[in-house]
Amino acid sequence: MNLTMRALKAQLKAELLRTIRNRRFVIFTILMPAMFYFIFTGTVGDTTQVGGSDWKAYYLMSMTAYGVIGASMTTMAVRFSRERAQGWNKLVRLTPLPSYVQLLAKIFSQGALNMGIIVFLFLLGAFVKDVELSAAQWVESGLWIWVGGFAFMSLGTLLGTIRNVELVQVVSNLVYMAMSVAGGLWMPTTVMPDLMQTISKFLPTYRLGQGAWDIVGGSGSIPWASVGILVAYVLVFMFISTYIMKKQEAV
Amino acid sequence: MTAVIELKQVNKAYGGKKAVDNVTLTIEKGSVVALLGPNGAGKTTTVSMILGLQQPTSGTVKLLGQDPRDMQVRQRIGAMLQEVSVVDGLKVGETIELFRSYYERPLPLERLLKIANLTQEKDKMAVSLSGGQQRRLGFALALAGDPDILFLDEPTVGMDVTSRQLFWETVRAMAVGGRTIVLTTHYLEEADSIADRIIVVNQGKVAADGTPSQIKAETTGRIISFTAGAALTTEILQAIPGVTGVEWNGGRVKLTSLDTDRLIAELIRRQLPMRDIEIQSGGLEEAFRMLVETKGAVS
Repeated sequence: MNLTMRALKAQLKAELLRTIRNRRFVIFTILMPAMFYFIFTGTVGDTTQVGGSDWKAYYLMSMTAYGVIGASMTTMAVRFSRERAQGWNKLVRLTPLPSYVQLLAKIFSQGALNMGIIVFLFLLGAFVKDVELSAAQWVESGLWIWVGGFAFMSLGTLLGTIRNVELVQVVSNLVYMAMSVAGGLWMPTTVMPDLMQTISKFLPTYRLGQGAWDIVGGSGSIPWASVGILVAYVLVFMFISTYIMKKQEAV
Repeated sequence: MTAVIELKQVNKAYGGKKAVDNVTLTIEKGSVVALLGPNGAGKTTTVSMILGLQQPTSGTVKLLGQDPRDMQVRQRIGAMLQEVSVVDGLKVGETIELFRSYYERPLPLERLLKIANLTQEKDKMAVSLSGGQQRRLGFALALAGDPDILFLDEPTVGMDVTSRQLFWETVRAMAVGGRTIVLTTHYLEEADSIADRIIVVNQGKVAADGTPSQIKAETTGRIISFTAGAALTTEILQAIPGVTGVEWNGGRVKLTSLDTDRLIAELIRRQLPMRDIEIQSGGLEEAFRMLVETKGAVS
């Protein structure tokens, strides 16, 4: 047990270092959402009313969700794929490190980084853009996005089963961008055609945003439909990636 | 002696092709064993099965008396795989520290850096190292847990001659205190200089197994060639004890034998019509190739 804890700690430290040292991560998941936030609140107007709240509050939720989704999905996808391409995965399988510790360390470290992204963007919103929310709204929306972020790690794991690292980078960025736009994280779905609005209701990106938009828009109830859809996605992603990995390993 | 590795009638097939064909062998504690064979002979597949990375199609593999995937077994082994594996985003020292954290009794970081000759590179990013340096990092990772059994799969690929020599000196220094070392190579000279037992693998089968001197005796085939008189035929030559092969090239004949000293005496005693006699010995590498080719032809 002691040994497992020691290994988990070392593994966590290593995973955090690897992500923070990755320039792509810092640019795409922290600086880009912040930049988009200032650009689009500037062009649309801070106090335009959307979904029962100020645009600057609504869009802060959108961009925070956008950042967390990108961080969770692309980091996991690229890391899983790269570790296998580098033969690293095979080497670690020969050590006494239990594979669940390796997975937990990845999830925990990404969870910690996601929390950092949320706090950073919320501080920007609160102090630079004067977004005014109640303490409960700040905490609830932050937690909602944080917890929902784990669902996108499972999608990242699934994309990480692709063996070619360059391809993984392209595919995960495409999926990320397409789902973010279609899910209304860049522009609210209400400005989209009816068909797109219907489709977006089934996307995990929309569901993650919707929970947070509801919280800042004042409807206090837990959006059970979104919870259900996100959980369903996690189960499907995990099932498929486990199946693919089993098949790939059974040589 | 205790057996630390046991393979019983192990087969491994990919699709219809047999990569490992009914291999049974035992490796004793404290021995330095080289699996020697050409590329594609089944060395790496055999090692992968011993390590539990692959499962045999049939037969049993025991490592330290247990399933190779057992966590207690993993505590006591270390491996350097054929693929160069470094992880992105970590420095050399950090990578070694990470591996040290997996084991109950790891070797000290400074010692591992010294063994791998990477003390200078401790704060460099692992991915920025040269190919040879990355191999040495792999060696440090294999030793991180102070393993009882060390596996080295083609460890010197990508190293220049000097690093190669230095590497084998280090490995020899590691073969103390009852540590077992299993290595694969396709260079007979490497196997000869480091191992106390050589297992020649070819086409998935064990082609020869013994001490380096036994293997050499078997593989160091020599050649006697001469211009033969008209009376000599292949039948007459093949009937002479010690002749393993007869080959004609115009009027010249080539006899292969494991013991040319005795054969030449025999040839002279029989007063065969011979002129311009030459005795040649194939180099080690050539002799090894001969062994692999002849055994391959039989199977």
